[in-house]
Formats: sequence, structure tokens, C-alpha cells
Amino acid sequence: MLDELGPEELAARQQATELDILTMGITFTVYSDGENIDRAWPFDVVPRIIPGAEWSQVERGLAQRLRAVNMFIDDLYNEQRIIAAGVFPAELLEDSVNFRRECVGAHPKFGVWAHISGSDLVRDDDGTFYVLEDNLRVPSGVSYVIENRGVTKRAFPELFGHNRIRPVDTYTDALNKLLSSLAPDGVDDPTLAVLTPGIFNSAYFEHSFLAQRMGAELVEGGDLVVGDDDCVYMHTTEGRQRVHVVYRRIDDLFLDPDVFRSDSMLGVAGLMRAWKAGNVGIANAPGAGVADDKCVYAWMPDIIRFYLGEEPQIANVPTYRCMYDDERDYVLDHLDELVMKPANESGGYGITIGSRATEDELKACAEAILDDPRNWVAQPIINLSTVPTLIDGTLQPRHVDLRPFILTGESSYVTAGGLTRVALQEGSLIVNSSQGGGSKDTWIVDEPNDAPAQTMRQSQHQSSGDEGGAA
Amino acid sequence: MALLSRNADRIYWAARYLERSEDLSRLVQSYGELIDDLPSDDDTASRWGALLAVLGPSDDEPDMAEAGERAVVRRLVSETERAGSVAFCVGAARENLRTTREVLPREAWRAVNDLSLFVRDEAVRAEDRRFRDRVLTRVIDDSRRLDGILTSSMTRDDAWEIWRLGRYLERADMTTRVVGVRAAALMAHREAALSYDEVHWMGVLRSLSALQMYQRATRGAIDATAVVQFLLFDDLFPRSVLFCLNEIDRCLDRLTRPDSVRHDVATARDALMSVMATTTDGADLDQAMEWVQSLLGKVNSAISARYLSIDGG
Repeated sequence: MLDELGPEELAARQQATELDILTMGITFTVYSDGENIDRAWPFDVVPRIIPGAEWSQVERGLAQRLRAVNMFIDDLYNEQRIIAAGVFPAELLEDSVNFRRECVGAHPKFGVWAHISGSDLVRDDDGTFYVLEDNLRVPSGVSYVIENRGVTKRAFPELFGHNRIRPVDTYTDALNKLLSSLAPDGVDDPTLAVLTPGIFNSAYFEHSFLAQRMGAELVEGGDLVVGDDDCVYMHTTEGRQRVHVVYRRIDDLFLDPDVFRSDSMLGVAGLMRAWKAGNVGIANAPGAGVADDKCVYAWMPDIIRFYLGEEPQIANVPTYRCMYDDERDYVLDHLDELVMKPANESGGYGITIGSRATEDELKACAEAILDDPRNWVAQPIINLSTVPTLIDGTLQPRHVDLRPFILTGESSYVTAGGLTRVALQEGSLIVNSSQGGGSKDTWIVDEPNDAPAQTMRQSQHQSSGDEGGAA
Repeated sequence: MALLSRNADRIYWAARYLERSEDLSRLVQSYGELIDDLPSDDDTASRWGALLAVLGPSDDEPDMAEAGERAVVRRLVSETERAGSVAFCVGAARENLRTTREVLPREAWRAVNDLSLFVRDEAVRAEDRRFRDRVLTRVIDDSRRLDGILTSSMTRDDAWEIWRLGRYLERADMTTRVVGVRAAALMAHREAALSYDEVHWMGVLRSLSALQMYQRATRGAIDATAVVQFLLFDDLFPRSVLFCLNEIDRCLDRLTRPDSVRHDVATARDALMSVMATTTDGADLDQAMEWVQSLLGKVNSAISARYLSIDGG
């Protein structure tokens, strides 16, 4: 299809989308951008296509994974059965910087803590999807999934009529239902509020977008107050009004200056008190981040088996835990094939990529592992897949990842596709929009059973492997 | 439906800024037309300086009374950094609406965002006479387009009433400024102005979009007293000061606990009506308008205290 359009038409459509994005005010914020706090969202007009049957499998895997994650979090803050059973080491929990003692004994509705998660997936060159990380705190990007679809529809209107592309904009409805279900018992028509740090936050556009789509109030900390009755109120033109559910988009530590950081200007004093009293629902629940670090990641297959008695339906990148003798021995024998990561560092610090390291570096890494095995995990190198992307008027392969969003409450919901981020630099694996990454619309396309299957397939070029990246 | 006080504050100011950018654009536009109609042997350059008085007295700015056309238009239209210019007001309206996108219809945000992109890139062209009209007309048209979008697609909730409060208070204020400043300017050029009295008052009407409606209402010639009466007291023309105050009262009917604001509106209306008894003589009128403006300022404070700050609830 893209070949039929030809380069000029394709470029024209790319231009049209850029104008579209500018006038709609779809923006993200880059902190270092000086006075210009809005930047237009970089968008590649060529959609990424994933067959529906394949995606349905991913959906099942993600829903299962988040069910287990939530049982795990609830267990950690209550009985700690998984530790008693010897499946998850108590030391790891003691070391965790994301475990909030203030939340011990809390019982959020449905036993769910991480209501909204955005898991980062990559595909290997054999086509397998892997979960790279589970973002359980305040994952962002879902508004771009919906906006990207709108932009693509205007750019390629002719494709939407006769292809079965799964719609993405049911997300906000599902989120609305989920948040409403978190209201205190007996409240029929709850008031929802999206708690944002404010306009200077990089995801402010999304906070606003979600509030709009759900008819929720977009509030800042200063708009809310916790009364003597331990209920949450907002200041309005009609005086104080009760808020029943807070979808917070600020980090745990800033939520409530009475309990966490006392210098927080973003939070609401008394919010934790109101939450524990059951007078307000908070999504994601404070403390949910405990299941969101590299250590817990390594245990994920065990966690799924422990709570659900099922085999994981979506792959974890195989992760060797150096605290276990047999896994450490394997790592030390295969240093040159693996990526070694210190567990409590983030943002790529301290990572050694075996295939690129010198003898000395490998030796130093081995010593570091032996010195503090608990702090190290190792993973094989994943050769990331690429998809065609419009670069200077021609289609070229570029690396992508994928962030679907998973809602977990009484039931589960997974977005059809998710946010595809693309590394616009040739060979680059960096997809972050703040560092030269862009995004694409992601199409989950169902094939009509009775029609020939090749109508709308797009080949997913695979990278040759020599530029494979660390997972 | 209740409205967050913080959002009320932003919507109110967005409405005020947008109204001001529209009114100021129209004023600059009609002033240019007016000057074209006057004899050119006069000191045309300093005439433009007189227009700056509409921004009110300023302590921290250099005296621009003798400034030429280009400098004055730059100050009033294209200078982004200085408060009060059209470009500044449009930018401020956008910044305020940017943080209240979930309250207003989506098209409203698009209209303002569109306009601010245009003004950011093109406002500077207004300094050139050939392009000035295009720039100013766009500001006026887009401001009205926004009103249209809201009128046809916005729920009549508190946000709507707050928007109207901002619009009508700013409009009342701008009408008093145009009437006052022009009256004073006419006084200053009494000799030259006398023979062109009619042209001047026509210019005043034009700058308030009022010429045609004035003529329809009075069915008569342009007469200073009748023009002032029309712009201040006509209760059917939507830019007259009385009409604006009446609309503010109607907004208050639908908001909760409006008594403190209503009291200040009544005081402003009483002051306005007392002007009817004074002459339309320039100095008196200018002074009377300043008095009304200060009372409109009190209405603004009362609105702020009641609806726009968190202590109001």
C-alpha cells in the first residue's frame, strides 16, 4: 500500500500530520527547552502493524501478569505468604526503596494496587514479544496512543473503511469505569479527580487529556483539602465539594507531606489518612511501585506461578539472579554473551554489555558480582526488531518498542496495541521522545477469516543482529 | 456543575485577555482609518501617541506621547513582552486556557491555540500599514469565533458564567476607556477638532463596532451627546457599559452566593447613571470614566474574592 502512494504522496501526508499536531496543540514538555515549554510531538506517519491473533496472545499474557503482580503487592503489604513460602527472598524486600511501610496493612478494593500500568515490550528477531519492564507507578503515553490514531485517520482515511483495525479510544471509558469502581462503598456517582503536578510536568498534556475524556476534574495539590472528617474536598466556585477517587499522577513521595516528604508542595496533607480510612480511592495505590524494579522483574515468572498456578503467557527476558549459586555460575561462564545490570541503579548506570566490553572490564564486572552477588542480575542480548519509518522521504528500518497500557480492577483491560516509540537515528535504540525518539500509530489488524490474508500485511523487517541492544 | 476555583480564575482571565485583544485590535484599526480622514497638515505623528492613553497611566515606561505610528502600533499590537499589547493578551489568554482544556469544549482550545500561533508569527507585520488590517481582523474574527464555539457548544455551567463575567467586565472597562480617552483627546485638539467633530465620533463608534447599530437606533446624525448616551446607557447594544453590567448581573443570578459581587455591581451602575446628568464636555467625561473604571475594578476584586480564590469557598 505504501509503495502505491509513492514518496511524494507519503511526504505530503507526513507534512499534513505535522500541521495537524501543531494546531491541535498535541505537545510534550522538555525540561531543558527553555521558555518554550511546549514542543510538538514527533510523529512518524507510517503505522506499525501487528496481526490481531498475535496481539490477542499478548493481551492474555499482560492481563495475567498484572493480576499476579497485584496479588504480589497485596501480599507484601499484608501476609507476605510468598516470603514465608521461600519463593521471594525477604532480604530483597528489606532493600527495596519502593516499599512503603506506611502502607502495611492497607486493603485497597479488589486487592488491587497497580490499577494502571504501562509495560514496555520489545520484539526479538524471531518475533517473540518480551516484557522489558513493568511501569506501575505513573506510566504515561496513553494519550498519544489515542491522538496518534486520530492523526493517522486523517492522513490515511481510505485505509480505515476496509481494514479491521481495532479501535484504541475505548481506553478512557475503561479507565473511567475502573476509577469509578474504586469509590468508597455506597457512592453511586463518584467525583473523579486527576491529580497533576501542574503544567510544567512533562506529561501535563496527558493529564489534561484524560481528565477531559473522563469528565474528571484536573486538580493540583492546592485544589484539594482533607477535612476533619478525613474526607477529601476540592475548592470550587460553590465552596468545598467531595472528591471520591484520585487518579494521582505524582510520585508516592510527594503525595502527602504529613506522611512522606514534608517539603512536598504537590501533594495534599492528610490524603493517606483519608485513603486508609476508606474515604477516597487512590490509583495507583501508594506503595504499588514496590513491584516495579529490576529485582522483582527477575522473579516475575515465579510470582505468576506462585499466585495463579499458571505458566506465564508472555515472556520475561530470561534474567539470571547472581544471588543464586547456579545462576551466578552460569553468568560468570557467559559474561561475553550477557548484559550485566546492578539491580538498584536505574537509567542505564553501571551496565556492562558483555559483547562490547574489554577483557579488563569483564574481569572488573566479575569481581563486582562476586563482591555483592545480590545486587546483580544478567540478561541475554535481545536483537530488537525494526519497522519501516519515513526518513528523508524514504522508508528505512528503525528500532521500536511498544508500551501497551493495562487496567486492572475487578476485571482487566489491555489497549489494542499501545504506544510505539521509534528511535529515529539509524541504528539507535533510544526511543525516548526527549532524546530524539518519535512515535507511530500502532494497528492491531484482524484478518477476516474468509479473505486472502495478504491484503494489508506489512513486513516487519528484522535487524541483522549486529546492532543488537541490551534488553 | 461546580468549577474548581483555580480553573475559574484562569477562565475569567482568559476571557478578559481575549476581549481586550479584540477591543484593542478594533481600536487600532479604526484609529488608522480616522487619521486617514483628517487633514494631513496637522501633526499626525503625535496623534498616534495619544492612543497610548488607552492603556492607562504607566510609571515604568518611557514617555511615548510624541512617538510615531510604527512605535505606537508596536507597543499596542506586536510587542509580546510588554503587558497590554494584543500579542501579550493573546498569549496570556492561551496560557490561561492551556491549563483549563478539560473544562471548555475542545474546539475552543484549538481556536485560541490557532490564533496564538498566528499572532506569534504575524503580529509584527501589523507595524506595516499594508498588512495591519489583515492581522487585526484575524484577532477580532477569532475572538468572536471563540464566542461562537462556546455559545453553540458549551454547557451553561459555572465555567460558562465565569467566562461571561470576564468578557463583560473587560468590555465595560474597554468601552469606558475608549470613550474617556477619546473625549480627552478631542479636548486637547479642540480647535482642529471642532470642524471634524463628526468624523471623530464616527471613529469612536467604529472602534466599538457600534456605528451601524447607533445609526439604526438613533436614526439621526452623529452627535456627541447621542453617541456618548448610546455607548454608556443603551440597554440593547451589547457593548454599552450598561448592557455589560446588566449581563454581569444575569451571570450572578446563576452563581452561588453572589451578594458581595452584586453589591459592587450596583455601586458601579449607580455611578454610571449619575454620569448621564453631567455634560459630555471632554474633561468631565474623562474624569467620570475614570471613576467608573475604578468601580469596575472593585467589581473585579469582589469576583476574585468570591469565585476565583480558594478562600472564597
